[in-house]
Amino acid sequence: MKFSANNATSAEKQLLEQLDGMKDSTALKILQRFGLPSRRVEAYHYTDLKALMSHVPPLAKSDDLTDSDLGAAGEFDLKDAIKIPVRNGFFGKVSNLAEGFEISENSGSALTERKDMIVALNRALVNNSLNIKISGAPSEILHIDWQIPGSAAHSAGCVEIELEKGAKAVIIETISGSDEAHLGNFGSRIILGEGAEITHILVDVSSRKTTRLQTIEYEIGQNAKMHNLLINSGAKLSRTQIFTNFNGEGAFGDFNGLNLVDEGQHCDITLDTIHKVPNTISTQKFKAVVRNRAKAIFQGRILVESIAQKTDAKMMIQGLMLSEGAQILSKPELEIFADDVQCGHGSTCGELDEDSLFYLMSRGIRRDKATSMLIRAFAEELLEPIKDEQLNGQLSGILDEWLEGKAKV
Amino acid sequence: MSAPMLEIKDLRVSVEDKEILKGVNLIVPAGEVHAIMGRNGSGKSTLSYAIAGRAGYEITGGDVVLDGQSIIDMEPDERAAAGLFLAFQYPIEIPGVATMTFLKSAMNAQRKSRGEEELTIPDFMKAVRGAADKLSINKDMLKRALNVGFSGGEKKRAEVLQMALLEPKMCVMDETDSGLDIDALKVVSEGVNQMRAPGRSMLVITHYQRLLDHIVPDRVHVFSDGQIVESGDKDLALMLESKGYAAFDGAAA
Ligand SMILES: Nc1ncnc2c1ncn2[C@@H]1O[C@H](COP(=O)(O)OP(=O)(O)OP(=O)(O)O)[C@@H](O)[C@H]1O
Ligand SMILES: [Mg+2]
Repeated sequence: MKFSANNATSAEKQLLEQLDGMKDSTALKILQRFGLPSRRVEAYHYTDLKALMSHVPPLAKSDDLTDSDLGAAGEFDLKDAIKIPVRNGFFGKVSNLAEGFEISENSGSALTERKDMIVALNRALVNNSLNIKISGAPSEILHIDWQIPGSAAHSAGCVEIELEKGAKAVIIETISGSDEAHLGNFGSRIILGEGAEITHILVDVSSRKTTRLQTIEYEIGQNAKMHNLLINSGAKLSRTQIFTNFNGEGAFGDFNGLNLVDEGQHCDITLDTIHKVPNTISTQKFKAVVRNRAKAIFQGRILVESIAQKTDAKMMIQGLMLSEGAQILSKPELEIFADDVQCGHGSTCGELDEDSLFYLMSRGIRRDKATSMLIRAFAEELLEPIKDEQLNGQLSGILDEWLEGKAKV
Repeated sequence: MSAPMLEIKDLRVSVEDKEILKGVNLIVPAGEVHAIMGRNGSGKSTLSYAIAGRAGYEITGGDVVLDGQSIIDMEPDERAAAGLFLAFQYPIEIPGVATMTFLKSAMNAQRKSRGEEELTIPDFMKAVRGAADKLSINKDMLKRALNVGFSGGEKKRAEVLQMALLEPKMCVMDETDSGLDIDALKVVSEGVNQMRAPGRSMLVITHYQRLLDHIVPDRVHVFSDGQIVESGDKDLALMLESKGYAAFDGAAA
C-alpha cells in the first residue's frame, strides 16, 4: 500500500507536523513519500520503526535551559574527564577546555546526507552542531555527556570530531536521562587524519522508556587507527548505526559492542563498513546478552570496493540467550568486489554452558552468582582492552548493575 | 566403626533414559578412604556426578546421605556447602574467569555457608600461596583463566588445590591420578594424605593400583556395570592388578 497522510501512524503524523517548515526539508519529503521505514525496507527489516514507534514527544526547546543545568553531570560521571554536557541536544557555552582541543559551533548537523530516515531527521532537527578539533595527544579523556532530562521530548544533537594528523585521543559519549518516553536522535561524525588514533566509546544508560536513534560516521584516513566500543544497556527501543569509510591505505578499524538487553527492550546495532582503498583492516566483534522477552539485533555489511585489494575484514557475532523469550537476530553481509582479500564472518548464539555452570556450582558458588561470572567472562574480552582504570571500572559497573538487574526498568 | 560420612543406598541413575547405575550400595565411614576401581564405562564417573548433582543424571531410586542428611534434592552448590567436593575426571575450562577470582568466590561462598566472614585479600593470598606451594603449582598458572591451557596434569593439581582450600568433609576424586607424571603423583598424593582427618572421608576413583600405594585406602570396591560387585581391603586392588576385572564379571547377579 502506498503511503499517504491518511494512513499515517500517529508517530508519523506527529513527525510530519514537527518537520513542517524546517530549513532542511529532506526528512519531510522522505516521510511524506514513504513514512517511517518498515520491515519492507531492507536496512530496517528487523527494526520496523513504523510499527515500533508509537508516539513522538514534542520537540525539545532550548529556552528553559540555564547555565547551571548545563553544568550538571549526567548519570555516567567520569571524574577526571573533560566534560561537554549536552541537554536535549543543546550545548552549553563551551570554551577551549584544555590544550589540544579546539571547539567551535557549526550550523546544522555534521552528518552526511544519505538515504536514511534517522540521518535525515538528524539533519532536519539539529540547528547547531559542535565541532571539536584535536591535535597532539591530550592526556584527558573527552566526555560528551548527552542528557535527556525532564519531561518527554524529541531532541536531536550532533558532534563532529576531527583528529588532526598524528593526533591521539580517547572520547566517550554517554546517553542518560529521566525516566520518560523520550525520543533522542544523536549523531557523531568522526574524522581521523593521517596516522591519528582514537578510542571512541558510546554508552547508553538511558531509561527503559526512551527511544534512541543514533548515527556514528567514521572516516578513517591513511594509517589511522580507530578503536570503538559500544555498550548498550538502556533504552526501550534503540537503533545505533555506524557508517564507516576506510579512506586511506593502512587504515585500521576495530569495532566492538556489548548489547545488554532485558524485558521489553529492542536494541539494534547496524554497521555499514566500506573499504575504499587497498590495504585496510577492519575487525568487528559484537556480543549480545538477552534476558527475558527482549530482542538484540545485529546487522553488519562489509563492502570491499574493487580497488580495495588486500582488505582484511573480519566480523564475529556472539549471543547469549538467558531466557526462553530472548531473541538474537543477526545478519552479516559481505559484498566483495576485489579478488585479493581476506574476509570472513562468524556467528554463534546459545545459552549458558551447562557444564561450566555445574563446575562453578559444584564449588559452592550459587547459581545466580555462577551465572553472573559466566556472563562477565563472556563480556570480558570487550572490556579488557580499556586500559584506563577508572573508565574500565565504570564500564564494568554498567555490566554489574545489569547483572544484578538493577538497571532501570 | 564410626558414623557414616557418606551413605549411598540402592542408588539408581539414568542418563538420557538409559539406566547406568543399577543399585549402588556404599558406606564410607567418617575419616576413612575408600577406593573404587572398575572398567571403562562401568559407571564410576556417573556415580560421582550423581553425588555432586549434575543436571541430566536422573536419580530414579535410592538415596545419597551425606553426614546424616539426604542430598539428592539439593542443588550442586548446596551439596558443596554441605561439605561435598568432587575432583573432576575432566575439569572444565572456563575462559574469561580468572583462576584467582574463581577461588575467592568459591572460598567465600563456602565461608558464607558456614556463617564465617569473607576472607581479607591478604589472608586469601596467603592461603592460596601456601596450598599452591605444597602442590608445586606455579604462580603463572594461577594468573590464567580457570583451567584454560592447563596441561592434563596441571588441571588435576588445580582440582586438588581447590579441594585443599575448600576443606570439604567428603572428597570424591575421579581419576585424579590420570595425567599426572610420577613426581606429580607423589606430590599430589602427599597433599591428599595431609588432608586425611577424622572428620574427613575420601572416595578415590582410579584405574591404577600405584595410586593406592601412596594413598592407602581403608576399603577397595570393584565397580561393574553400574554396581559394586566386590569389596575388600587394600589387597583387593593388588589382586585386581594381577587378575583383571574378568574374575568379577557377573558377580553381582
Ligand atoms: N550423556 C550420556 N548419554 C548417554 N550415555 C552416557 C552419558 N554419559 C555417560 N554415559 C554412559 O554411561 C556409562 C558409564 O559412563 P561413566 O563415564 O560413568 O564410566 P566410567 O566408569 O567413569 O568410565 P571411565 O573409566 O572410562 O572414566 C558409559 O557407557 C557411558 O557411555
Ligand atoms: Mg570416568
